[in-house]
Amino acid sequence: MEFIALVYDDPAGWERMTEAEQASAMEGYMAVSQEAAAAGVLVSGAGLAPTSAATSVRVRSGEALVTDGPYAEVKESLGGYYLFSCETMDEAIAWAARIPSAAHGGAVEVRPVHVGEETAA
Amino acid sequence: MKYAMLVYGDHTAWEALPAEEAKRQRAESMPRWNAIFQEISEADPGWLGRELAGPSEGKVVRVVDGLTVVTDGPFAETKEQLGGIFVAELSDLDEAIRLAALVPSAEHGTLEIRPLGTM
Repeated sequence: MEFIALVYDDPAGWERMTEAEQASAMEGYMAVSQEAAAAGVLVSGAGLAPTSAATSVRVRSGEALVTDGPYAEVKESLGGYYLFSCETMDEAIAWAARIPSAAHGGAVEVRPVHVGEETAA
Repeated sequence: MKYAMLVYGDHTAWEALPAEEAKRQRAESMPRWNAIFQEISEADPGWLGRELAGPSEGKVVRVVDGLTVVTDGPFAETKEQLGGIFVAELSDLDEAIRLAALVPSAEHGTLEIRPLGTM
């Protein structure tokens, strides 16, 4: 079964960290990737560019409306994700707790991936 | 450039639909989803696409003073919730926008495109 760990961070909090703290956090993110990969649990993972680099697309009455910026202005935005293949939610939560953001004022939301006969991807 | 396409929609409205109607709408939109899967896989055979279980099935994980604290999700208290994600290597932002506009969810929700960072 797959679980996605959605990593939410306050970008302003990141800016307030010292270079050493940032470097340590980066090592922490890498360590989760490496250890989850070594354990055969990591399916995929990536960091996202900041919301300032986001583009939002909506289609209304057949017209594509394209705007700069994220879908919603929120303090803590999605900064990246890890996709884990685990037996249980508890196992996924244990991996999520190792992601630095969980301890640095952010949060990690763990969500099962939808399974069903309709799932085509 | 690798892009993430984040699919945001009003999950509450979706869950409020009678089961039969939800099933009908899903079946009706499947050919369009399949067409997008086809296009993205042609652009990038290593693409990733996942539909997430509903936001209420999420758990929010924080570590406070070394202790793992788990609460019920969702984390973001916004009307639209993340319901799916695509990640693919695409030629440019215009191509990402073109594909995003084809996603059925763009007609009632929002597709947010983000380049991947350096993690």
